[in-house]
Amino acid sequence: MGWWRAGKWPITILVIHIVAILIFTRGFLLTRTELPYYSQCSDLSKSPCVYSDPSSDNETCWTRPAVDRLIIIVLDALRFDFVAPSAFFPESKPWMDKLPVLQKLASSHPSSTRIFKAIADPPTTSLQRLKGLTTGALPTFIDVGNSFGAPAIVEDNFINQMVQNGKRVVMMGDDTWVQLFPNHFNRSYPYPSFNVKDLDTVDNGCIEHLLPSLYEENWDVLIAHFLGVDHAGHIFGVDSFPMIEKLEQYNAVLEEMIEVLRSQSGPGGLHENTFLVVMGDHGQTLNGDHGGGSAEEVETSIFAMSFKDSPPLPSEFDSSVCDTDLDGKKICTSSIQQLDFAVTVSALLGIPFPFGSIGSVNPELYALGAGTSNMEGSNQGNCHDQLKLEEWIKHYVNVLCINSWQVKRYVDIYSASSIIGFSSEDVSHITDLYAKAEENWLSSTRDLLLYKNESYQKSIPALKRQIFYYFDFLSGVAELARSNWTEFNLKMMGIGFGLMLVSLYIYFLAIKRVNKSYGVSLPSCGDSGISFGLIFASFIVVIRASSFLSNSYILEEGKVANFLLATTAIVKLRYSFMKKKMVFEAIVFILLMFILRITIDIGLSKQAATSQFMNASPSWLLGIAISQPIWTSMIEIVPILALIILAYLLCNTTSSSSCRGVPKYVVLGTILSYLLIALHWATENDVLNVALFLKGIERNYIPQTVYAIGFGLILVLALDSLFCTKKTYDCKVNLFVKMVALLSACSSTVIILSGKQGSMFALTSVLLGYCITRLEGIDQDSIHGADGISTLNPVPVVQWSLLAVCLFFATGHWCAFDGLRYGAAFIGFDEFVLVRQAILLTIETFGFSHILSVFGLPIVIAPQYLFSQTDNRSILSVRLIQVFLMYGLIMATTVTATILCVTIQRRHLMVWGLFAPKFVFDVVGLILTDVLICLASVYYTGGLVGNTPHDKTR
Amino acid sequence: MRDQIDKQSNPFCPLSTGGWSGGGKHNMRKKSPQSTVSASQAFFTHLSCGLALAAGFWVSHNVYSINLVSHPDHTLFLIWVIQCPLVVLFYSCFRKNPEKCLYLKAVARGLLGLPLGALLNALGALALGAPVGIQYLKRTINWSLMMSLFTVVPATSVYGSSWTDWHRIFAQTKPNGALDYMVCLPAHGALIGAWFGAWPMPLDWERPWQEWPVCVSYGAMVGYAVGMVGSFALVLAQGKQKYRKAE
Repeated sequence: MGWWRAGKWPITILVIHIVAILIFTRGFLLTRTELPYYSQCSDLSKSPCVYSDPSSDNETCWTRPAVDRLIIIVLDALRFDFVAPSAFFPESKPWMDKLPVLQKLASSHPSSTRIFKAIADPPTTSLQRLKGLTTGALPTFIDVGNSFGAPAIVEDNFINQMVQNGKRVVMMGDDTWVQLFPNHFNRSYPYPSFNVKDLDTVDNGCIEHLLPSLYEENWDVLIAHFLGVDHAGHIFGVDSFPMIEKLEQYNAVLEEMIEVLRSQSGPGGLHENTFLVVMGDHGQTLNGDHGGGSAEEVETSIFAMSFKDSPPLPSEFDSSVCDTDLDGKKICTSSIQQLDFAVTVSALLGIPFPFGSIGSVNPELYALGAGTSNMEGSNQGNCHDQLKLEEWIKHYVNVLCINSWQVKRYVDIYSASSIIGFSSEDVSHITDLYAKAEENWLSSTRDLLLYKNESYQKSIPALKRQIFYYFDFLSGVAELARSNWTEFNLKMMGIGFGLMLVSLYIYFLAIKRVNKSYGVSLPSCGDSGISFGLIFASFIVVIRASSFLSNSYILEEGKVANFLLATTAIVKLRYSFMKKKMVFEAIVFILLMFILRITIDIGLSKQAATSQFMNASPSWLLGIAISQPIWTSMIEIVPILALIILAYLLCNTTSSSSCRGVPKYVVLGTILSYLLIALHWATENDVLNVALFLKGIERNYIPQTVYAIGFGLILVLALDSLFCTKKTYDCKVNLFVKMVALLSACSSTVIILSGKQGSMFALTSVLLGYCITRLEGIDQDSIHGADGISTLNPVPVVQWSLLAVCLFFATGHWCAFDGLRYGAAFIGFDEFVLVRQAILLTIETFGFSHILSVFGLPIVIAPQYLFSQTDNRSILSVRLIQVFLMYGLIMATTVTATILCVTIQRRHLMVWGLFAPKFVFDVVGLILTDVLICLASVYYTGGLVGNTPHDKTR
Repeated sequence: MRDQIDKQSNPFCPLSTGGWSGGGKHNMRKKSPQSTVSASQAFFTHLSCGLALAAGFWVSHNVYSINLVSHPDHTLFLIWVIQCPLVVLFYSCFRKNPEKCLYLKAVARGLLGLPLGALLNALGALALGAPVGIQYLKRTINWSLMMSLFTVVPATSVYGSSWTDWHRIFAQTKPNGALDYMVCLPAHGALIGAWFGAWPMPLDWERPWQEWPVCVSYGAMVGYAVGMVGSFALVLAQGKQKYRKAE
């Protein structure tokens, strides 16, 4: 039962943490209740609106179909400035004006074509956006977690409505659509979307099927989803040649497509009444990231085009901004909420609006399609336009009436059926707005529509008033939904937070009590147990924890951690000057901090997100021309050099200490995988022309071999520590060797996943760990006689945990989902398998900052027991567990602070963009750390406790 | 004879003339090798350093009509240029072993300490996260020169390269006597003030004073001022204690 003694506290705390986090998450990340209701054609009879239009009552469902066929071209991650002319922006950038066909159409056919700036709602990940676009609802945050394994949409959505109403839908491109709508498409040509490195497969597939489909008659709705721009952004960034190439390719495709459509748009043609929409699902930042709520990410574009003219809109409904483009022509863009897209499209097609949609029918987009339908009877005289306008407004009023009724129905049913609906005052406010609109409708407007005998001068202002009543109501609902959709359950959040506090208390208790469970009486912690080190360490931890209360400090968390770590380094330097020892180590420590902070700067500027480490360093750094051949070859060689140094260090440690048996083989195996990694990098970049030599070998084999070796070595180590507890070497060396073996076994996988920077960070952390250890050793040498037992100094543990945080940021991560380096999941594999790729991504994300840090933790107590003469295994185990518990305490403190901060800031503007991702990252990190601490404490103390049974009887 | 040398070697020392030094020269040399400082000397030194700081601001504001927020590098430049002679000249008066070390030598090593101290301060700031970049270079240089005047230059002027004294002041922080207080407290005050001054920098208030050296400089100056007041208070207290003992 040795493992239970070692793992008792960590396992208890792990369980408490899991429970606390589950309870808190249930209160904080509540999902919107998805209602299983669907809109039906017949529902409309319950509404007060004019449902059977007297003019065409043959096959009308909710609205009169305005378009016959619909083509939706989705260009993933289409920024607004890809589409809008550069004249709209302060300066012209290389990626602007690359879709000139859209701009030309918008300026030459202003009455049938329009460019919209579409505002998406965060989270701006493709899956969430597709869901939001088709259902017209606000996707909730919890869905982000499902982004990899897209589940089918169960809520009502316009694709479902199309199918229900006999429209034939054809889909091509991103296979996410097929996962979302598994049984909806007549025909589909899905292509795998998760291989980010692949820029062309999806697009070429789309193009291959798109143009032939345009000549076919057997569909009503065509959806083509292009992914190239999104992938080009992820891999190369916006300002890159592949991106511009992609945009130019799209321009050519769109040009050809519009030509085909136009040629058949004559009376009786295939596309006489076709409506074309070219849209993005979300934007992207200049680095190609998306997911958050920044302007660059939420601003995308919708280009809409019909092949008929629409009447000029009354200026009240016109949100367009005009400017002159490069050729001096006038060009206008309007603005639209993506929320409104689903219901507007449904209205155009004449199908029932999705049940859960809370958008409103956008007048500009609706006018483009609905403008000139049914205008046969009134096409003469000067009042032609006026007539057209009045006809359109009447029609539009009725559509809005249906729209408002549908939204009101949803709000009512939602409030009634959801456990936590909207607050009663909000609902009553909404109800008031709707009642006002409905009253006006029933008293006057309805009659205007039914009996066409009023003069225009009288009717149009009344209709407009009615429209504004509806607008008030609909925007009120949207606002309410946006602000109130995340219903926090404060009671559960409170319980979760309380449990976290309890876990902190248990940590304190455990650190105090752990020696008792081993029956060892340590010399009590000096005088009253409060030393300078303790105060300083808690000061640092408290500062870091309270820094999470501000969004700015969360954004700059890496810098804050670096600042605090450098502060401890400077304090240590002063201390080493005081003791006149280890000055060199302290100076090295500070120099390494300098390197670390520069890499954190790079990481934070989001430029190290792509795998090239040094290429991404901002040119301001040293003003070195990066394109110089010496510099580029440096980039190739330095990581390999770092690997060789690491291997040399490993060799050195194993040969110097009396290391035999399993650990020795583990280290040898690691060195072998280091060699493989070096070979892999060399072949990737064609250094020394080894690529020719290895051309036959598939580039995926090496990473796979490295993973296999790493996994095998860890397995061997685990089995070894489980079954072979009879060790002949003494415990100090044993501990050190065990640590080196475990670290080296883990490191190769982490390094190859981190890319070239990995080896350098591994080297840096080894050096920093050495410095921290040596500096900690200052005191130990001075009280050499006292058996090396002194109070456990918390400062190095704090330093170690800060270093872990710094490494997380320095390796190019940050606490947001766009900070994940999806590319790393595909090192060694080409196809996507959810579990495998998720594991690789987790290892990559938390490799340096959590996995290696926790396993390397014994280095902190190494000087006390490695270099001094103590032989007491029990004390060693106690110390070891205390260190692990202390590390866990520091982690738990910061996570508790994050939880508190998330609770306080739950109504903050950035809660979904910043605080929630930070919370998720912290929580995942905490659980991971707890699990690793359990494993590590069992692993490290296994040999120590197992072969000293006499300790128990003491 | 020694008096003669002393006077000759102190041609510029602002504190060697005038009767307000209490006439304690003979006594002090007998008591300890270190020159002791009277409360009035300490007060005058700190006052002139503080006034020099204020003068730097005054000149930049009224003569060049710039301030720390709008032109950090120029203002910091003016501040350190104005403060440099005062700090060096005053602290050189209190140099250790005045009989062995000429006044001019103390001034020279104070001037030498200026760039060295600036280098140390700059390295510390960069390790803590000060921005690296060409556009920040001038600001960092000027800021670190100013910090050097607050921290290192007084010590170099007073102690020269005496390792034990440096060790006592900066590593152990065990100031012993009035002179130590005058060197140690303002220096530590400036460093701690600068450390705290960096805190508001990441906040997203988008105020111009959150730029790199501005709030750190303010913090350093506040800390420096507090350190000077504290040092004066301690010198005063110590003087009283001695007076009581003597009684």
